[in-house]
Amino acid sequence: MMINKSMHTNLLEIRDLSIDFNTDEGLVHAVDNISLNIRPGEVMGLVGESGSGKSITAKSIMQLLPGNAIIQPKSQLRLRHDNNDIDILKLRGRDLRKVRGDMVSMIFQEPMASFAPAIRLGEQIVETMQIHLGYSREQARREGIALFDRVGIVDPARRFDQYVFELSGGMRQRAMIAMALSTKPKLLIADEPTTALDVTIQAQVLELMLELREQMGMAMLFITHDLGVISKIADNVTVMRKGQVVEAGNADQVLYRPGHHYTQRLLAALPNLDNLPEAPKEKPQALLSINDLSVSYPVAGNSRKQEMFTAVKNISLDLPEGQIIGLVGESGSGKTSLGKALLGAAPISEGSVKYHGTKKKVHFGASKRLKRKRLSKTAQMVFQDPHSSLNPRMTIRDIIAEPLEAMKLTSSREETDQRVIDMAKRCHIDVEHLRRFPHAFSGGQRQRISIARALVCRPKFIVADESVAALDVSIQAEILALLKELRAELGLTILFISHDLSVIANLCDWVCVMKDGGMVEEGTVRQIFLKPQQPYTQKLIASIPLLEPSQPRVEHLPESTEIFAVQQEPLIKGPIRGHITEASIRFHTEELRC
Amino acid sequence: MMSSVLARFGQKAKTSQDESYYTAGQLALIKARFTRKASGVVAGWILVSIVLMGFFAPFFSPVDPTIRGADAEYRRGAPQAFFFWDAQGVSLRPFTYTYSKSKPKIDFQALAASGGLDALDALTSSGALSSSSQNKYNVDRDKRRYVQFFIKGWEYSLIDFSMAGLDLDLRWDRHLFGVEQGDIHLMGTDEDGKDVFSRTLHAVWVTVSIAVVALIVKLFTSLLIGGVSGYFGGRVDAVLMSFTEAVRVIPSIPVYLACAVALSSMDLTSVQRYFAIAVVIGALDFATLGRRLRTHILTERNQDYVLAAQLCGSSSWRIIWRHLIPSFTSYIIVDTLINFPYVILAETSLSFLGLGLTEPVNSLGVLLQKAQDPDIQQNMIWQFFPVLVFVVLIMAFVFVGDALRDAADPYSEKK
Amino acid sequence: MVADFFTNTWLLWVLLSVAGFLFWRSRSSQYFHYVLNRYLLALMTLLIVSGIVFSLMEVLPGDCAEKYIAYKNTQGEIITQADIAAERSRMGLDRSLVVRWSSWITDLTLRGDLGFSCAKRQSVNIALGDRFWMSFGFCIAGLVFAYLIAVPFGILSAYMINKPWLDTNPQHSQKQRLINSLGLSFNKLLDLKLRVISYLGLALPNFLLALSIILLYVFAGEPVPTGLFSDQWSNEPWFAESGFQYAKLTDFLSHIWLPIFVIGWAATALQLQTVRALVVDESNKLYVDAARARGVHGMSLWAGYPVRHSISPLFNSIGFDFQRVFNDLPIVAVVIGLTDSAALLIEALAMTNDQEMAAAILFLVALVVISMNFITDIVLAAIDPRVRKSVLG
Repeated sequence: MMINKSMHTNLLEIRDLSIDFNTDEGLVHAVDNISLNIRPGEVMGLVGESGSGKSITAKSIMQLLPGNAIIQPKSQLRLRHDNNDIDILKLRGRDLRKVRGDMVSMIFQEPMASFAPAIRLGEQIVETMQIHLGYSREQARREGIALFDRVGIVDPARRFDQYVFELSGGMRQRAMIAMALSTKPKLLIADEPTTALDVTIQAQVLELMLELREQMGMAMLFITHDLGVISKIADNVTVMRKGQVVEAGNADQVLYRPGHHYTQRLLAALPNLDNLPEAPKEKPQALLSINDLSVSYPVAGNSRKQEMFTAVKNISLDLPEGQIIGLVGESGSGKTSLGKALLGAAPISEGSVKYHGTKKKVHFGASKRLKRKRLSKTAQMVFQDPHSSLNPRMTIRDIIAEPLEAMKLTSSREETDQRVIDMAKRCHIDVEHLRRFPHAFSGGQRQRISIARALVCRPKFIVADESVAALDVSIQAEILALLKELRAELGLTILFISHDLSVIANLCDWVCVMKDGGMVEEGTVRQIFLKPQQPYTQKLIASIPLLEPSQPRVEHLPESTEIFAVQQEPLIKGPIRGHITEASIRFHTEELRC
Repeated sequence: MMSSVLARFGQKAKTSQDESYYTAGQLALIKARFTRKASGVVAGWILVSIVLMGFFAPFFSPVDPTIRGADAEYRRGAPQAFFFWDAQGVSLRPFTYTYSKSKPKIDFQALAASGGLDALDALTSSGALSSSSQNKYNVDRDKRRYVQFFIKGWEYSLIDFSMAGLDLDLRWDRHLFGVEQGDIHLMGTDEDGKDVFSRTLHAVWVTVSIAVVALIVKLFTSLLIGGVSGYFGGRVDAVLMSFTEAVRVIPSIPVYLACAVALSSMDLTSVQRYFAIAVVIGALDFATLGRRLRTHILTERNQDYVLAAQLCGSSSWRIIWRHLIPSFTSYIIVDTLINFPYVILAETSLSFLGLGLTEPVNSLGVLLQKAQDPDIQQNMIWQFFPVLVFVVLIMAFVFVGDALRDAADPYSEKK
Repeated sequence: MVADFFTNTWLLWVLLSVAGFLFWRSRSSQYFHYVLNRYLLALMTLLIVSGIVFSLMEVLPGDCAEKYIAYKNTQGEIITQADIAAERSRMGLDRSLVVRWSSWITDLTLRGDLGFSCAKRQSVNIALGDRFWMSFGFCIAGLVFAYLIAVPFGILSAYMINKPWLDTNPQHSQKQRLINSLGLSFNKLLDLKLRVISYLGLALPNFLLALSIILLYVFAGEPVPTGLFSDQWSNEPWFAESGFQYAKLTDFLSHIWLPIFVIGWAATALQLQTVRALVVDESNKLYVDAARARGVHGMSLWAGYPVRHSISPLFNSIGFDFQRVFNDLPIVAVVIGLTDSAALLIEALAMTNDQEMAAAILFLVALVVISMNFITDIVLAAIDPRVRKSVLG
C-alpha cells in the first residue's frame, strides 16, 4: 500500500473511506476502508472491474452519491490547495461548489448522456464558467470557443451553438473535456472516458488528454477497467476489487511487477499474442460461402421514397471449417448485419449464402427463400446483450430447451431434459440452476446460458456477436476459454464479431476486417496483426491501447511503422501481454529475471 | 481454469438471497416488490375486504336488500347503533334498542273542533307535516335486542354456477349477524324501508362485476386492435392507428351516453341491460390500451430474445404464444387494475344521469344518484353511506394501482 | 354573385390556402414539410372523427322528421304515417347514411355549417352561439387550475420521492440531523397530504364533489352559486350607463369558480402523477449528475435541468388533457345548472335526441383537441431540439 510521506503536498487525500448502500436486501458495503492520495499534477489510475467501487469512490469526491449511500463517520476526504484545506465531507449546499466544478471536474463515460439534450453545448459551458469564474456572457463565450478550438473541435464557433446529438461520438467527448477544463480545475476525474468510443477515436481522445494534462498541469484521477489505457496515461495505479484496494504503487511496479494475485489475474486475462495459432498449411475447406452479399435496410421515417441504407456491400467470402473467425470493425461497419445475414436474420438485397456439407441443402439469398428449420439446425447465434437476449419470463431449462422444442428434435420430454442437462454441464452451468429465471444470474453466467441454447441442437456454426463486450475482463477470459474448449470438443466453426482487437487476437484463427460495409482485409491472425496490408487495418492495429511503461512517456501514438519495426525482430516466446512493443519486450525480460 | 469457474459458481449461489428469489417468476417478483410498499399493502387489504364483502354480500348483510326485505315499520329510519353497555349495565353481547314509530301528533280533534286556520297553522309550524319529522322514531331503551351471529335469515345462493351450465347452486340461509326480533339497520333505511347497509354491500359487487366485464371486453378489443396493428404493421397499422387516434380525441362519456340512450329505448331486462352497459363501456375504451399494446408489441418484437427464438426455429405462432403474450400479461394485469376506478366512475356517471342501471337494481351508481335529492341531503344524511364506501373503494384501487405501477417492472432495481 | 360564392365557400378557401402556403414552403424547408404532413394528418383525423361521430348519432332513437311531426301533433294536427314519410323525404332523411354524412361534411368544409338542430329548429351554429366558447373557457380555466397545482407540487413530489423521512447521515452532527429531519418530514408529510388530496379528486366523482359543495352552501344557509350569475344580475347588461358594471363581474366570478374548481380538481390528480413521473424520469438521468458535478446547484439545477426537460412532454399532452376535462364537464354542468355547450350536449343526447346538435358539439371538441395537438406538435418541433431531431431527422 502506498503511503505518501510528504503528506502536505497531497492535492487529494482519501483516508479510510467506507461507503455503504442501504438497499432492500440490507446494508451493502460498496467501498471498504480505502485510502488514496493524489499529488498536484499526478495522474492516478484507478483500475477495477464492475462493482469494485471505483466509480463510487470518484463520485464521493464530488458528493454525488445517491440518497441511500452512507459514508461512514471515520472516512475523511480532504482537498488541499495553496493554503486551502477543504474537508469535502463537511461541505453543504452552496459550498459544495468549491469542489464541484471549481477545484475538481469530472468527465463521464457517456458524453451523449452527460450533456443536457435540450440545452446548447455552449450554454452549458457558459453557465459553468459564470458560476465559477464570474465571467460575463461574452467573455465566457469567447473563452469557451477558444477551448473548443483547443480540444480539437473543428469549426468551434458553430459547434458551440449546437446540441449534443449533432456531434459525433469523438467530438462529444472532446466537448465534454472542454467543459471539464473550462474552470481550470486542479483535479480532473475521468470515469471511463474512452470506454464507449471506437478504438481509433479512443486513441485520439487519450492523446488529447495526455497533451492537455501536460499543458495545464492538473492532476487526474483516471478510472478504467482497461490496463492498456492505464499504461499509457497513469503515473501511479491503484487496483480495486470488491471495494478494497488490493494493490497500489507506481505504474511500472503495478503493471509489470504485480504483487497481488488479483492484479496478476487481471493482467493474465489480457490477450496473449505469443501463441497465435499457426495457420494451417492449407486453408481448410469452406463451411459456407458468401457470394456477393449485400444487406440493406429501409431508412425509417421516410416512407414515400423507399430509401435504403446499405449496411453490407457486395461481400464475397468463404469461411473455413472448424476455425474461429474474427470479424472486426468499428461501429457502423456492418459487421453485425453480416453476421445476422448469415443466419437469415437480416434482409439480403443481393447475393446469397450457401452452407456446405449439410444433410439437406441450405442455400438462401436475395432470390432464394430461406428454409428456416434447416438453417436453425446448422447455424445458431450468441447475442451481445446478455440481458435482453434471454426471455426474462422463462426458466433456464426452458430457454435452453427452446430450439429442441421449437424444431421438435427430441421425441420425449425426458430426452429434452437429458440434452439440456448435458449441454448445461458442458457450458459449466450448475444443473441445480436450471429451475431459476435469468434475473438470478450475472452477465457471464447469462452468456453461458446463451451459448448452451445455441449449441443444444448441435449446430455446426455459431455467430457470436460481440458476445463478451458487456463483460468484465476476467469473465471475458472465462467465456473465451469456454468457446475454445467447445470448438475443440464439438468441432464448431465460430464467427466471432467484435470491435475489440485484443479479444480477437486472443481467440481467433482467422480475421476479417470490415469498414463501411465492405471487406477491407482478411487473413490469418498472424497476417492481420503482424503484417497488416491495408492502411485502415494498420491504423486500427496501431490504435489498440498498448501496455507500455510510463517512463519515458510517449508523446504521440507510436506510428504504425514503429510497430512493424518491432515485428521484424524474431518473435519472442513466452507470455506477452497486450501488444508487441518495445515495452512488452522489456517487461518480458524483466519478468524472466524475477 | 475449470476449478476457478466452478468456484465462482459456488460463490454466486450463496450470496445475499435465497433460492426462492432465483426461482421466482415475474408475477412473484412483482408481488415481492409490491409487499414492500406499506400504503399499497394497506390499500390492498381494504380493497380485498370490500370486494369480498361485496361478493358474499348476502352473507354479510343482515337484511334482504330488495323490496321483499324492506322494513315497512322503519321507513326513512336513522342508523341503529349497537352498544355494549348502557345505564342498565354491561353486556358482552352487543345489543340495539327497539325503535317504534311515534304516533302522529296531528290533533285531529282540535282541528275538527276549532276548524279554524289557527289550528292548521299550529300544525304546520309544529313540523309534523314536514318530511324531516317523518323519520322520528322513539327509542325504547328498556327493550334491548341482542345481536346474534350466524343467524338464520332469508335464503340466498352463496355461489351460483348454474349460469355456466354447471347446475351448482350453493344455497344457504345463514347470515353473519342479525338481531333476535326484527331487523337491524346499521346504516338506516331509505324511503321504502330498504336497508342501506345491505344495499351498499350488494351494490359493491354489482359495480365491481360490471367493471370486470367491461375490462374483459376492453382487454379483448384492445388486444385485437393493438395486436393486429402491432404484429402486422405497415398499412394495416396505419389504418387502425388513425382510426384509434380519431376515437381517442372524442370525449368518452358523451359517447357512452349516446349508447346508453340507445339501450334505454330498447326493451331489455335488467340483467341484459347490465351486460349491455358493461360491454359498451368496455368496447369503446380500446383506444389508449390498444395503442399502448401496439407500442409494447413493437418494442418486444425487436427484443433480442424474440430474434433468438426465431433463430431457434420457432414458428410465428410459437413466438406469439410462448414469448410475446407472456411478455405482457403482467403489464396487462397492472394496467387493468389501474383502470378499474375509471371504469367504475364511468358506470356511476351513467347511472347518475339515469341512463345506466336504475332502481331497484343495487349498484353504487344508483345509490349515488340519490345523493342529488335535496330531501336526502337534508333529512337522510345516512344515505350518503354508499358515497363513503365508494370513495374508499376508489381510493383503495388508486393506491393499489400506484404501488403496482411501481412494482410492475421487476428489473428496474437492477440497472 | 361572386361574393355569394365566396361567402358560401370561405372555409374551404382558408383550408386550401393554408395547405398551399405550407406546400410552397415545404419545398425549401424540412420543417414546413413536417408541418404540412401534420396538417394533412390532422384534416384526415378530423374526417374520420366526423364519420365516427355522425354514425354514432344514428343509434339515438327517432329522427328529425318524427320529432317535427310530433311537435305538430301537439299543435292539434292529425298525423299519419304517410306524413312522416313525406316529411322525411323533404328533409332528405331517407337517403343513406353515407350520403347524408357527405352532405353534412361538405357544408361543414365549405362554410363551417354544422347542420340543423331539430329540437331547437334552427341552425346548429346559431343555437350553439357562444356557448361552445363558454365551455372552452371553463375547460381551459380548469386546466390552468390543475396545472397551477399539479406542476409545483408534482415537482416537489418528484424531489421528495427518494428522500428519506429522517436524516441518518453519520457525517452530520446531532443538531444538523435533527434540523434536517424536521425539514424532511415536513416536506414528506406535505407531499403525502397533497397526494391523498389529489387522489381524492379522482375518487370523488365530479357530480358528488359539486353536490357536496352545494350542500355546504345549503347547510350554511347561503345562496348556492349555481349557474353563471345570481338572479339579479343575469339580465343586466355588462355595460350600463354608468360604464362597466364591476358588480356583475364579481358576481360572475363568484359563480364560475365552482365548475372550474370541480373539473380542475379531478384533473389535478392525473396531472400530478404525470408531472411527478416525468420529472423523476428526467432527474435520474446522467446529465443532471453531470450538471451537479459542475457546481450547478439548488433551484437553478432543478429548474434548468430536470424540470426544463420535462416541460415538452407535458406541453404535448395539453390536447388530451383538454379532452379529459371536457369529458367531465357535461355532468358537472347538469349538477351546477350551467347553460354551456356541455349542458346542451347532455340535453341533446339524453332528452331531445337532437342528433346533429350532439354530433356538432362532439365534433367541435375533437376539433379543439386535434388543433391543440397540431399546434403543440409543430411548436415543439420548432423549439425543442430533441423533438426536432426525432421528427426531422
